[in-house]
Amino acid sequence: MLVKSIGKGSKMLRATQGLKNEMGRHFLAIEQAFRDGKPTAWATAGSPVELLYAMDVQPMLPENSATVSAALKLSKDFIEIAEDQGFSYDLCSYFKTNIGAVAKGASMAEGGTRKPTFMFSTDVICDTHVNWFKIQAERMNVPHFVMDVPHVVSNTSNRQKQYYKKYIVEQMYEFLDFIQEKTGNEYNEEKSKEIMSNSYELGMIWQDIFELRKNVPSPISTKDTFGGLFPLFTMPGLKSPLKLYKRMYREAKARVDGGIGALEEEKYRLMFSGIPFWYNLKFFGNLEKWGAVIVYEPYVFAFSKFTNPNITREYVLNNPVECMAELVQSFWYVYDLETRVKEFAKTVKDWKIDGVLLHNNYSCRPNSCNLYDLKRKLGDDYDIPCLIIDADMNDPRKLNETQTINKIESFIEILEERKKN
Amino acid sequence: MNKIGYFDAGVITPEEIFIAADFVPIRLLGDPTISIDKANEHIPPTHCFWARNLLEQAINGLKDVKGIIASHGCDCTNRQFDIWLECVDIDFMYFLNAPLKRDKSASKFFLDDIKEMILQLEQKFKVKITDEKISNAIKLMNNIRRLLKEISEYRSKMVLKGSEFHALVKYVQQQEKNETLKILEHKLEELKTKNPFSGESLKKVLLTGSVIDDTEFIKHLETLGYQIVIDDLCIGTRYFWNLVDENEEPIQALVQYHLNKPINSTKVPSYDRFNFIKELTGKYNVDGVINIAQKFCEPILYDHPYMSKKFKELEIPYLFIEMEYNRESYKQLSTRFEAFAEII
Repeated sequence: MLVKSIGKGSKMLRATQGLKNEMGRHFLAIEQAFRDGKPTAWATAGSPVELLYAMDVQPMLPENSATVSAALKLSKDFIEIAEDQGFSYDLCSYFKTNIGAVAKGASMAEGGTRKPTFMFSTDVICDTHVNWFKIQAERMNVPHFVMDVPHVVSNTSNRQKQYYKKYIVEQMYEFLDFIQEKTGNEYNEEKSKEIMSNSYELGMIWQDIFELRKNVPSPISTKDTFGGLFPLFTMPGLKSPLKLYKRMYREAKARVDGGIGALEEEKYRLMFSGIPFWYNLKFFGNLEKWGAVIVYEPYVFAFSKFTNPNITREYVLNNPVECMAELVQSFWYVYDLETRVKEFAKTVKDWKIDGVLLHNNYSCRPNSCNLYDLKRKLGDDYDIPCLIIDADMNDPRKLNETQTINKIESFIEILEERKKN
Repeated sequence: MNKIGYFDAGVITPEEIFIAADFVPIRLLGDPTISIDKANEHIPPTHCFWARNLLEQAINGLKDVKGIIASHGCDCTNRQFDIWLECVDIDFMYFLNAPLKRDKSASKFFLDDIKEMILQLEQKFKVKITDEKISNAIKLMNNIRRLLKEISEYRSKMVLKGSEFHALVKYVQQQEKNETLKILEHKLEELKTKNPFSGESLKKVLLTGSVIDDTEFIKHLETLGYQIVIDDLCIGTRYFWNLVDENEEPIQALVQYHLNKPINSTKVPSYDRFNFIKELTGKYNVDGVINIAQKFCEPILYDHPYMSKKFKELEIPYLFIEMEYNRESYKQLSTRFEAFAEII
């Protein structure tokens, strides 16, 4: 080891320990919905889950469940079941985890998901979401609504975004009709406003927590954020996660006020871009032995959703459906390359980041597509050191831990040299 | 003549618009004989070889191509558009958001996006793309489609080899259309006078899958005893199976044409592809179906288990192959093709 190992591991917020209970409430609500015969729906991450809550439909997020399987070290077995069914080694590991979990009849505690009333997917993050639910909807014989979100590229004009939005809004209303047809539940504007208001508040608190991470030392680390994001995509619109996030904020703020960092001795501040390795979250603890702390994760931040400055609280309350259409178009997670480079550069400056780790996610093409150019542009145009790590979000077979740790250690050496100079 | 190149795995780009703008539309296709070098600096190795091949060619320069249209395809090709903007030295590039769905809202959206593309083409190249010119282009393209469909039939009559037909469609997609019309007319006349070749021992198959643009691959299958009598390919039936309505408002007619023709696996509902293939297998009485996925081609990879199950139910022999985009891989796969030929 060339770089000196320092300090102890990072301290998780006490409030974050409440996350388990919070997610427990979500899974309980799902069980309750099945017991009560309430309509349920599978939804993909990035889709406007708020519409489901507004229509009194209990959402289930199979991606979230797939991460549960990974954390319990079950994802590899589930993935291999999917591969035995003919799904390629190269396909999305979340998808294959879900295929295997359902095939094996895994319980919800193991990352299984139950047959819903209907499925709801969008291509805002990836086409895989649509393919995934298409496959499972056919197998489970349930209706499937697809929302098509036009793909924004670096030279998409504002004029184009206007008719993109019109198309999405139209589909939002078609979706509400679809839900009514399948469940009998009617759209209620007042309830929708309440849900959107809660969702907005949840997103804003999450952004406030991220703001606190601009402080040196950073009050929190990935121990709080990687898991902490789950309520954002499973429970946006509900009141209960608000309490958890407020507690997290208060505790983090107290740390900032007391000059206390998540790490005892913070030496390097990093950004981690991409989806974490859910089967090996301890991996990120390796960084701490070099005094490195991750202070920003675009993936985690993206799910705060309300990052578009045009979307004010007033707009959210007055136009709940329309604002959802605008939000899915301006989702941080799927920014075009040009916007992404600018946002990364700004974030690195504002959060005082020393280096960026880019996860080249083997089974997620949207995640990995523009990484090489992103790295090159951040390095050439902004002098930001970046390191690409090859791994996978849910498939432990694709992470070479020793090799990756060695790469990171060399990267830390570079950061150390830069600090000296 | 100036060309517009289109990067499109699903042939959903309305070529008529470029013809109406006095451009020659050229479908960008791969070349498995080149080595990939510069594109590897932009795209990770776990991404589609075919798309990387196209990027390599584009970085090296596309002769006479004044503009690029990239049409919404899969996650991989969609996201690569930004890379093209960065490293391909062509001034005009437009991402055509061909919708995922085929319903009424999708149709309105596609209409808006094609109109936007027309506007940008007109502004950039100082041309006027009138309805009249588009209508004339539709008539020209419909004539080409009719001829291709008629010529296609000579495959099942064992008069025209599958590889010859593949080369012909590929030629049409990459050359000036009035010229290709003459060639097709001539070809049809020639075929009418030709006698069938001895096809009794040949295995009659339907070929489907990813973009298969190397005619050498089809020739290789022929050396192993196959005749592709029909296909579900973008260099094949999906390019000419239907016609554009000549009585409808021209841009609207193009939208309807593209949203009603045999579906590509990148669009919804892609399982309809199975229904089209099933119809063809019956009509052409094929011995089996071969489904080829280029390595990392997600849309085909996702659909394969469903296809496999459905063909099994129908008791139609089905072979699925994941293939690398280079000619060495064809030979390596010979044994599997030979084994399938024996089974059917």
